[in-house]
Amino acid sequence: MTINHILPFISTAIMLVFTVHVLQRFFVRRQAHFLFWGIGLAMFGAGSFAEAYLSLAWNEWVFFMWYLFGAALNAAWIGHGTLNLLIRKRWVHILTVLLVLGSLYAGYLMLQVMPALDSSIFTTERLISEQYGTKVLEPGEAAPPGRETTTMIYRGEQVTVVRGLLPLGSPVRLTTPFFNIYGLLTLVGGALYSAFLFWRKRVLPNRVIGNVLIAAGALLIGFASTLTRLGYGQYLYVAELVSAILMYIGFRYAARPQPSEGEVTQTIPAVAD
Amino acid sequence: MKHSTKDTKERKHLNKPSRIPGGSFVFDKFIPILLIIMGIMTVGLILFAAGVLLGFIQF
Repeated sequence: MTINHILPFISTAIMLVFTVHVLQRFFVRRQAHFLFWGIGLAMFGAGSFAEAYLSLAWNEWVFFMWYLFGAALNAAWIGHGTLNLLIRKRWVHILTVLLVLGSLYAGYLMLQVMPALDSSIFTTERLISEQYGTKVLEPGEAAPPGRETTTMIYRGEQVTVVRGLLPLGSPVRLTTPFFNIYGLLTLVGGALYSAFLFWRKRVLPNRVIGNVLIAAGALLIGFASTLTRLGYGQYLYVAELVSAILMYIGFRYAARPQPSEGEVTQTIPAVAD
Repeated sequence: MKHSTKDTKERKHLNKPSRIPGGSFVFDKFIPILLIIMGIMTVGLILFAAGVLLGFIQF
């Protein structure tokens, strides 16, 4: 057992505490942004839990949860919560409908691919982020150590691929960039924009710092996801843990009560309140 | 009902929003540079994701 087998358990525990904290606020205040954050954070936690489980054993439905919630949807849902604070409600409602429909469609595509999962290559020796995707090898490119390759016909051409759990060209993999772009724009962009507004007005330093930490945490996981897509999945788990810690500290820091905060939040949107 | 001088001072303090301290290195230099760097990194990641989506970047 390596450190990478332990990290997802810690991330899961942190995300559980974070999610409960945010959902408690939703049930007290009944504000939609807390609900979307809570759902997105629960998805993040589900992804971490799936990583923890898959470091011990194989289960196709845990993999389903990992890919759909952990890789595809969570950033978009957390970011959608932030968007609730920044734009007019009418646009939020339209985007909410699109997000829900898009998430259901991604779930449908994931269900479609389930019978085609190549679980024979699964091993607990490697992280799930290192073995989920089937990747075409360019001419002269060597396969990563310990990975199985095979030759197949893809789009009319014979190609050599590194075998992965998801078949080559799975449509569900094309949905993740949509959600990731939306998540980056709304979660990171929203936190940076909020931090900038408070900084420009020279008020609520706790929210400037809090939003910077939230943006840093989200950016870190964005980079790790990009590296994973490029075949360097070994950094994902540590990035998730650091990201969970940064975002939780950022949220707590931004949510600290300040003098006359009510007057300020009426004029400036905040990522966390 | 009369308020003591101490009460009045406390109320004045609570009526002022928490301010970013002037002349702070963190808020005057570090935070703006960090915001710019993180903004650039965000745009970079979005372009990468768009490149994957449009087929410019193979995965």
